[in-house]
Amino acid sequence: MVDQIPNLGRESEMLEELGLTSMDELFANIPQGVRRVEPLPLPQPQSEEQILEDATRLLGANVHLDSRPSFISAGLARNFVPTMVPMLATRGEFLTSYTPYQPEVSQGILQAMWEFQTMVSELVGLPISNVSMYDASTSAAEAITCAVRVKSKKASQPSSVYISELVPPHRLSVIENYTQGVGIDLHKLPHNENGTLDLDAVSSAAGSCAIYVEQPNALGLLDEGLLGLREVIGETTALIVGVDAVSLGVIEPPGTWGADIVVGEGQPFGIGPTAGGPIYGIFACSKEFLRLMPGRIVGQSIDSEGKTAYTLTLSTREQHIRRHRATSNICSNETLIALMGAMHMALLGPEGLEKLANRVFSATSTTLGAVTSIPGVELVSPDGCFFREFAIRIPGPAKEAIESMDSEGVLGGLNLGTWWGDMSDCLLIGCDEATTEDDISALSNALGKWIEGASK
Amino acid sequence: MSTVFDFHGAPGTGWSQPEPISTDSGQIPERLRRKKPPNWPRASEPELVRHYTGLSQKTFGIDTGFYPLGSCTMKHNPRVNERIVQMPGIDRIHPLQEASQVQGLLSIYYEMQEMLAICSGMDSVTLQPVAGAQGEFTAIRCIQEYHRSIGERNRDKVIVPDSAHGTNPASASMCGYQIVEIPSASDGRLDLEALKAAVGHDTAAMMITNPSTLGLFETNISEASRIVHEAGGQMYYDGANFNAIIGKTDPGRMGFDAVHYNLHKTFSQPHGGGGPGSGPIGVKDHLSKFLPTPVASRRESIEGDPIGVGDGYCYFWQDVGESSIGKVQQWNGNAGAVVRAWAFYRRYGCELERMSEFAVLNSNYLRNRIMNPDPDVVARIHCMPKEGAHAHLVMHEFTLSLSPVKETNGVTGKDVAKRLLDYGYMSPTLYFPQIVPECLMIEPTETESKEVLDKFAADFHSVLCEDPEIVKSAPHTTPVKRVDEVWAARKLILRHPITDSED
Repeated sequence: MVDQIPNLGRESEMLEELGLTSMDELFANIPQGVRRVEPLPLPQPQSEEQILEDATRLLGANVHLDSRPSFISAGLARNFVPTMVPMLATRGEFLTSYTPYQPEVSQGILQAMWEFQTMVSELVGLPISNVSMYDASTSAAEAITCAVRVKSKKASQPSSVYISELVPPHRLSVIENYTQGVGIDLHKLPHNENGTLDLDAVSSAAGSCAIYVEQPNALGLLDEGLLGLREVIGETTALIVGVDAVSLGVIEPPGTWGADIVVGEGQPFGIGPTAGGPIYGIFACSKEFLRLMPGRIVGQSIDSEGKTAYTLTLSTREQHIRRHRATSNICSNETLIALMGAMHMALLGPEGLEKLANRVFSATSTTLGAVTSIPGVELVSPDGCFFREFAIRIPGPAKEAIESMDSEGVLGGLNLGTWWGDMSDCLLIGCDEATTEDDISALSNALGKWIEGASK
Repeated sequence: MSTVFDFHGAPGTGWSQPEPISTDSGQIPERLRRKKPPNWPRASEPELVRHYTGLSQKTFGIDTGFYPLGSCTMKHNPRVNERIVQMPGIDRIHPLQEASQVQGLLSIYYEMQEMLAICSGMDSVTLQPVAGAQGEFTAIRCIQEYHRSIGERNRDKVIVPDSAHGTNPASASMCGYQIVEIPSASDGRLDLEALKAAVGHDTAAMMITNPSTLGLFETNISEASRIVHEAGGQMYYDGANFNAIIGKTDPGRMGFDAVHYNLHKTFSQPHGGGGPGSGPIGVKDHLSKFLPTPVASRRESIEGDPIGVGDGYCYFWQDVGESSIGKVQQWNGNAGAVVRAWAFYRRYGCELERMSEFAVLNSNYLRNRIMNPDPDVVARIHCMPKEGAHAHLVMHEFTLSLSPVKETNGVTGKDVAKRLLDYGYMSPTLYFPQIVPECLMIEPTETESKEVLDKFAADFHSVLCEDPEIVKSAPHTTPVKRVDEVWAARKLILRHPITDSED
């Protein structure tokens, strides 16, 4: 018996008022030729107790990241989310509200998003932020289409965008889907032997609409050379930078070294990795891009009595008004997760952010030191400085190493062969604020054991 | 008004964390090092709990009151779903973990793919798109690749009715298509003659929702599908109004090739102030090989397989293959929304059609109540709105035009919407669809009781009886009075200036 319908069992009195005698008559407008008469071949309805029992059993069959030493990141963080965050964000008023089209009864969520915009703006060093995109990849993709809209008229390469070849392939795939139909040619930017961006090659991107690079790059490398990019590409090309949001607690924000648009995964602030979603994309930019940027924006305003108020603004960019000429099709975004992010950021404060970044940075350095001291392990980008992740080359297939470490109870990272065919002997090892000395020992032992066995 | 930036605790005294495991952070090159910390607030947990609780109390949700926002299906969100997604078996899972470690999650994905395919009459489903608009984009991308694969590269137009959601033309446009908008017939339904005139050898697809945004079932939908298919185009079903038809008909029977579902509408993923959503798509066989990759799959267990979930199957991520459009979200979609929607669907199972029955019953009941006030009330009403579309019965939602009221005493649809806020309701969807002048679009959903609908109708009539000046200056009892949207767009104060910061 279903239990979410208050009028169940009272349908006849309601039908009577409509002059009807059966529920079926309500659907009389559906032509017989397309009517479904047979019942849906689905299981019997369940009670809350039964659903919870099944969910506990099924989700309990998953191996979760906190149950063992875990070194898998690849752009998501096994973070610690303060308890306050989910408890407050799931208050019914936040949880069950829709997009705040009626500002008079939505001041709370609007103000929270305006505060979120401010904190993101401060974090990345640019004046404008929207209230979130779906994830880092769609933020990057729509940053590129936005930059082309703004820059193509004055660009000498009006349809070209250059992308670092060290962008993870799943993110690149999203970018390709978003750019393929609107006349944008994507070009790759190569890297030097040591993993840094080839700045000589970047000069060919001058005059294009935009370049997109990531700091750190897909292999966790912090590239000092990116700080000179603006000089290389000149003023007519947009500089779009993808970031690890937490790293900005210790790393110079791209807004201070010339970035026009900063994007990234917001997830480390606010929500667990949650199997890949819901998470949220950060999108921040300079004023030049404001009127052609995607996504919702909250602005401060006044009410009819002059009192401070908040409202969605610049909606004329959006699909519900501009339709096919909109700057994006985005409607639903990730507001609730951005709200969680705002709460987490506010709780951290400036010193807490720096400490969090230092925790991730030191966990990365310590893990790197331990792993690279294993005979046979080589750092893919030697002499580099890394945040959250680093790549190593091992004497044998990464796939087998992962399986072997798994049997030792260690989630030993990502097989980079799944991203790039020529890196099938490489592992991407991810660290976070929760990485412990014991975790690192377990990883080193498991990896060392496999290498010893493999070399026999 | 106070903001979070008004908290000025002493530096470093807020929420505490363990120390870093080493002091290696000295290695960051000076040039890369952040010089000036962000001006974030310095606040303690007790202060922030009160701050955000205060903000929540100035936010209207379904939990606060009736939320008849047409097209958005604002139904109750069962709380057990929130309890489930807090479990570590979903919250603490990485999307790149080996399939052997996520058998439970994969089994839920598989079950959801199957359920959505059954309910929609489609052959294959992906759960990767994370919003309805992204579902539209994904499906149009699949259709685009399909046409390319059969050498029909000249198809560069997508047809949408003028009553369509704005996301439809925006999504098709992002794929590079030109939009052909066709006018509705005088009864608000799809105009077959206009459609016939619009289709041609350049038609890639038609995007349409059924029932339409007027709450009307498109009775000639099969004929529309035939016309588009004969021209070589594909039929795309916008699932925004899926709540009206589950178990009664499905897009497959109507001749559609692709469909998106809004798990945040039909399957109760909470809307959370604007998101997250989840917009899976279903397609017929000929489009399956273009779906985003991967999809959940399974085979019968054999010796040596990982311990599964006890149903005799081994679950895995199936690569869609070379023809796949690739990724639209970098992982496997909004898994948390998928799990919530799974918990919701399990509540109904084979009785999902009860949901649609009561959604349509509530809609018709409320419409009848609003349009037929008691005689003593009629005598006091200045002017009645008229139907957005003439029909004996509507589906899960209906539209009203406030034009007669505006002409009589200057009270607009917006005024009525704002006045309803004073009565403790969220406003209906305003001024959409655009083909109905002074439109209010009302969708009560199945989770409202008869008493709530009766009260809303009575309060709606009260508004129509009131002094027009009170209605025009509404709202009066909300945390702020009517907000000046023009002022916001002119001043563009898009962040806190933080001039009173201690830094």
